[in-house]
Amino acid sequence: MAELRTGPGPELPAEATRLPEPEVFACHGVGYRYLDRFTALDGIDVEVARAERVVLLGANGCGKSTLLKVLDALIFPTSGTVHAFGRELTEDTAEDPAFVEGFRSRVGFVFQNSDAQLFSPTVTEEIAFGCLQLGLDREETRTRVADVLDLLGIADLADRAPFQLSGGQKKRVAIASVLAMNPEVLLFDEPTAGLDPRTRHGVVELLGELGATGRTLLLATHDLDAAALLADRALVLGEDHTLVRDAAVADVLADRDLLVRVNLVHPRDPR
Amino acid sequence: MTGRFPGGTTPDPVPATVPGAPGNGVGPPGAALPAWLRAGTSRDSPPGFPAAPPSGFPPPGFPPPGPPSPASRRGPRGGRVGRRGPFLRRTLAAGTDVLRRMLLAEEVATRPGMLQRLDPRAKLLALLILLLAVGLLHHLPVLLVAWLFALLLGVASRVPVGFLLRRVLLTVPLFTGVLVLPATLSVVTPGPLVLELGSWRGDPVGVSTTGLLAAGFVITRVGTSVTLVALVAMTTPWNRLLAALGALGTPPAFLLIVGMGYRYLALLLGTVTDMFTARRARTVGAGRHDGSARRFLGASAGVLLGRAHLLSEEVHEAMVSRGFRGRVHTLDAPRPTAGDAVAGAVAVLTAVAVTVADRALG
Repeated sequence: MAELRTGPGPELPAEATRLPEPEVFACHGVGYRYLDRFTALDGIDVEVARAERVVLLGANGCGKSTLLKVLDALIFPTSGTVHAFGRELTEDTAEDPAFVEGFRSRVGFVFQNSDAQLFSPTVTEEIAFGCLQLGLDREETRTRVADVLDLLGIADLADRAPFQLSGGQKKRVAIASVLAMNPEVLLFDEPTAGLDPRTRHGVVELLGELGATGRTLLLATHDLDAAALLADRALVLGEDHTLVRDAAVADVLADRDLLVRVNLVHPRDPR
Repeated sequence: MTGRFPGGTTPDPVPATVPGAPGNGVGPPGAALPAWLRAGTSRDSPPGFPAAPPSGFPPPGFPPPGPPSPASRRGPRGGRVGRRGPFLRRTLAAGTDVLRRMLLAEEVATRPGMLQRLDPRAKLLALLILLLAVGLLHHLPVLLVAWLFALLLGVASRVPVGFLLRRVLLTVPLFTGVLVLPATLSVVTPGPLVLELGSWRGDPVGVSTTGLLAAGFVITRVGTSVTLVALVAMTTPWNRLLAALGALGTPPAFLLIVGMGYRYLALLLGTVTDMFTARRARTVGAGRHDGSARRFLGASAGVLLGRAHLLSEEVHEAMVSRGFRGRVHTLDAPRPTAGDAVAGAVAVLTAVAVTVADRALG
């Protein structure tokens, strides 16, 4: 995984780097409402430090995916503020080319729906897409593509079209397409959902290795077994879209009452 | 008890250890189910529903297990399933057929054939040259020779000739035949009549020999051109064809839209097929073209539109997330080889040969 060592991305603008970057993300009172009617997030206060491995736990529809999109500056909070690398994420900053280039090269997001993420005609083009958009030269891009194809065990899929792939293969290509950009922060939305045991094991193992390289990992999941393996800290979202717990993963997983209350464990589940 | 899937954040008040609690395995089987669901299958059928036979499979009226007989692949009127019958079945068959053809085309493109070995850019340039030559021909025999040449190219490239001809012969009469139909009439193209249809101011009117020849000439020219285009499309993987178009100057944004359209067409087609299969799985008896069928069709179109919209939003987010800012950058295509140069030269020579032959005929 030599090519995946955390390295400095393109330089951010001066005003973005003047702070000592105490945290990667800082959310203060973040709220988000779809169509101004449906609350997805309500008063979220979270700070994520560099190299932290954080899991975002919660039942279906509690706002995990929305929070990840807010942190990736794809949508913007309807209330509260979000800072990334010391600079506030707003629609204005998202229009600033220098900031966008730095931010996108430092933060990678693997979507839950791999079909949405695989839009290129071939696997190779898909993996190369992010690198090329961020200005990496074609030779370096080809090297990175070859490396991540090998890393994910999908070299034989290089010339295939995404619609010809199985669900597990699509997920691996989606992960490869983000890893090729070599981001220092990785956001994963349900990385193990719908995968067969072998693929799930491979993904969990890979995420563990990525975490060990000093990257910041944020995983949204309700796979409690994977959470225990991959993260040190857990943020628990309740079904009322608020943050109900921010603690060590071991403490959260040991709190059965909490897990039942937020619908991560059924009362009759022997866990 | 708030049900099997209680809503809200209130925990289920039934403790796991209460004896006889529904669904915990201690009470009677299925105690939590509503009475009509607990009643079981058609042995307790409501009035008006046929009861299941007491034992034995298959029930009367069902075909025995095993491969379907030729007769079972036909509809009630003897037509092939998928060609006739209710819209649901036809839509399903058509959707599956499109997906099958997409996969077959990709498979043909990877076969070890003559055209498959060429660089897509060389193929596109050769195609342009040959299309130009075909467009300049004036004699039907030369055109027919050119068509034969195209079909031979297909054979040398391991393209199933029947599949290729179906593609050509289904589209050419539809789009060209209709257009040139008036030209076969003697009022448009005067000449000796082959078929008299009536009279106009005392003169006989009908299909003229000259008109038929003119129409045949146009159809053959279009057929030859479509065959050449289909050959290039079928012997080139879709992604490489797009890359070749890009290398020849097609705007990247246009190629991105076309590529994504093709990619998500397959996905949405799969969604439609799933929706219609689910509907068919819950439909008893022959489907009808009635109000409910039209409502289902309308609702399906609405659902599909909604899903396509959500998908497009998510795709855009995924692109933005990886640095997309309105301009697309792609990998360069590999360099052409000597074989590609030879192919280009052969295309030029062929074009010159048919043009010279055509001129020699006058």
